[in-house]
Amino acid sequence: MNAIINLALKDLRLLFRDRMGFFFTLVWPLGLAILFGTMYGGNRADQPRAVPVIVVDEDGSAESQAFVDSLIAAPEIEVSLASRSEAIERVRKAKAVAFIALKQGFGEASQNPFWGEPPAVEIGADPSRGPETAMVEGILMKYASRRIQDFFTDQSAQREELERARKELRTAENIPERLRSNLENLFASLEGVLSDESYLASDTTESEEGFSGFQPLTITRSEISIRRRGPSSAYAISFPLGSMWALLAVSATFAVSIVHERTRGTLFRLLAAPMTIYHILAGKALACFTAATVVVAGLFCLGYFAFGVVPNSILLLALAIVSSSIAFVGVMMLLSTLGKTEQSVGGASWGILIILSMFGGGMIPLFIMPGWMRTLGTVSPIKWAILAIEGAVWRQFSPLEMLRPCLILIAIGAGSFLAGVHRKLT
Amino acid sequence: MLLAFYGERQMLRLQNVSKRFGEIVAVDGLSLEVREGEIFGLLGPNGAGKTTTVNMAVGILKPDSGSIEIAGIGPPSRPEARRKVGIAPQSLAIYQSLSAQENLEFFGGLYGLGGKHLRERVVWCLAFVGLNERKNSLVKTFSGGMRRRLNLAAALVHDPPLLLLDEPTVGVDAQSRNAIFEKIEELRKDGKTIIYTTHYIEEAQRLCDRVGILDHGKLLALDTVQNLIAAYAGKTTIIAEGTEGRVEVETTDPIGELARLHARGKLTSLNIKNPDLEQVFLNLTGRHLRDV
Ligand SMILES: Nc1ncnc2c1ncn2[C@@H]1O[C@H](COP(=O)(O)OP(=O)(O)O)[C@@H](O)[C@H]1O
Ligand SMILES: [Mg+2]
Repeated sequence: MNAIINLALKDLRLLFRDRMGFFFTLVWPLGLAILFGTMYGGNRADQPRAVPVIVVDEDGSAESQAFVDSLIAAPEIEVSLASRSEAIERVRKAKAVAFIALKQGFGEASQNPFWGEPPAVEIGADPSRGPETAMVEGILMKYASRRIQDFFTDQSAQREELERARKELRTAENIPERLRSNLENLFASLEGVLSDESYLASDTTESEEGFSGFQPLTITRSEISIRRRGPSSAYAISFPLGSMWALLAVSATFAVSIVHERTRGTLFRLLAAPMTIYHILAGKALACFTAATVVVAGLFCLGYFAFGVVPNSILLLALAIVSSSIAFVGVMMLLSTLGKTEQSVGGASWGILIILSMFGGGMIPLFIMPGWMRTLGTVSPIKWAILAIEGAVWRQFSPLEMLRPCLILIAIGAGSFLAGVHRKLT
Repeated sequence: MLLAFYGERQMLRLQNVSKRFGEIVAVDGLSLEVREGEIFGLLGPNGAGKTTTVNMAVGILKPDSGSIEIAGIGPPSRPEARRKVGIAPQSLAIYQSLSAQENLEFFGGLYGLGGKHLRERVVWCLAFVGLNERKNSLVKTFSGGMRRRLNLAAALVHDPPLLLLDEPTVGVDAQSRNAIFEKIEELRKDGKTIIYTTHYIEEAQRLCDRVGILDHGKLLALDTVQNLIAAYAGKTTIIAEGTEGRVEVETTDPIGELARLHARGKLTSLNIKNPDLEQVFLNLTGRHLRDV
């Protein structure tokens, strides 16, 4: 094992010293990831965009309609209207962040903002959308408070309302005595306030805080899990693609390095040393595997910290990276047997890898391809590597769903590794 | 008695070894024994089969027939046997993008060396071949002579008792070549057994205790330089001019002959042609080694 590690460390050191190899394994894929990510819209979270929500008006009163109108006018959210069942479906499909249902009795409850239950609203969203849901909640509160505030700024309406409220307070039966007397005091002083014009001439924004003690809405939350979430940003698509280029470059570089050992005579010394050809091949495989995992993991670290590519599951991403690296170690071994010189192996490697990449969806998305191309793509490790990595980054694969592409990748790796070793020994 | 036995220990034994490459018979029924502590020269023109022999001795090529044994341990296919061998291949086998020190550390590691021992060996090797000052430079910045020396050092890191040096002076200027000779002689003093292949007569004559002459894969003769000359090169030629006129005599006893000539009269000029390995090769093959 020491011999294998010794061999691998030497190869990694050589890779690091080889400027072209270093460029194509790290700089190039990163450049592609950033370029394509930025070209296709970059990080959506960067640009404050209206949060898409669906409003379900279950009350159908004039008050609920007015509230819906105020939400439609709100710049922070992008409102569409739908029935409850449709709204749930669309939240599931991640077409909208949340639905907002104005419950039955909304209109009645908003008639009197001072007692009884406040108007009830239900927000339905995926639990993972916590920040957005909180934001929607805040927006609802804001517009509900604004309605109350409007109620006070319209003077004649206010006096009328106050009058009506005081009348209702007197006739209402289910109000506890203490609340009743408190409210009567409040109404009395409000009347005083309203009849003093100078108060009302003052800046209305001040009053926004004046009503914060009131609960303008009762908000309940219900959880709707998203069935399949889309990529969070264009970088979530471009970084998996970039990592494919890293894998291609690593496998081509190491395929050439195996030939390099022979043409430069260093293989001679390795063979003369007290170890077997299997040690030598294992050393190459270990170096290639390490380079592949480190480069791809490094790429995603950069994606995470600098471009907001947050994988659904770090653990599954690690599994995907390891499986993809195994596949490309095998491919590397097979590629290294394609010729006798660096030029022939290098040329053949890139040629084959680019075909694999094309059919595997590494360059053009699979869904644009004609059926026969897609069928051909199923033998491409690129296809499965992209699927596995995307599965962990944004496709929200369950561990079980992850198993399939990962097992296929490992099988491709083992198969081509054995084929490569067999060709080498004969 | 024990010492004599020790000296007779064979570090490499080839028995009736043959190797073909397609139609070409590179090595043809070769048998030889290399004794502990000697410098054994394998002399022959390009294509004689020297490299093929060396490569078989270290297990990189498998002989088609015959057997090879290293240091009484077994065939070179056994890793324990290969551990006893250090090789400086004819075509340089060092990493261009590693420094001299990194190369030696890596190759030492291949033989299981590590830690302090490895560091000490690397320091020793770098000093031995005079590359200490350039130990941190990448090999790609080295001259041809420096690369050759590093190639030699890489054979020494694991301190093997048997060294196979395949044309270690190819492409090296005269000064570096002399330095290499001195180093090889030092190694012999340290008790190493050395197999030295070359197509240069002078090198074999200067360095080697025994020389095997190889041509077309066949061993034509094997003995000490002196014995080879005595057996195959014929006599010493003395051309003398003097008061008695010009005489040219061939003799096996040049000193005695000179005394006789001197006794006959005063000599004005004297030219003594000692037979050499070149003559040996010419007589054995009918060709000059320099021409092939
Ligand atoms: N790998 C090989 N394939 C085919 N022919 C070879 C190979 N290696 C050596 N030969 C041939 O075998 C003969 C002996 O070569 P070699 O051992 O290199 O000679 P030397 O080292 O004495 O110059 C030459 O004719 C050479 O062309
Ligand atoms: Mg040779």
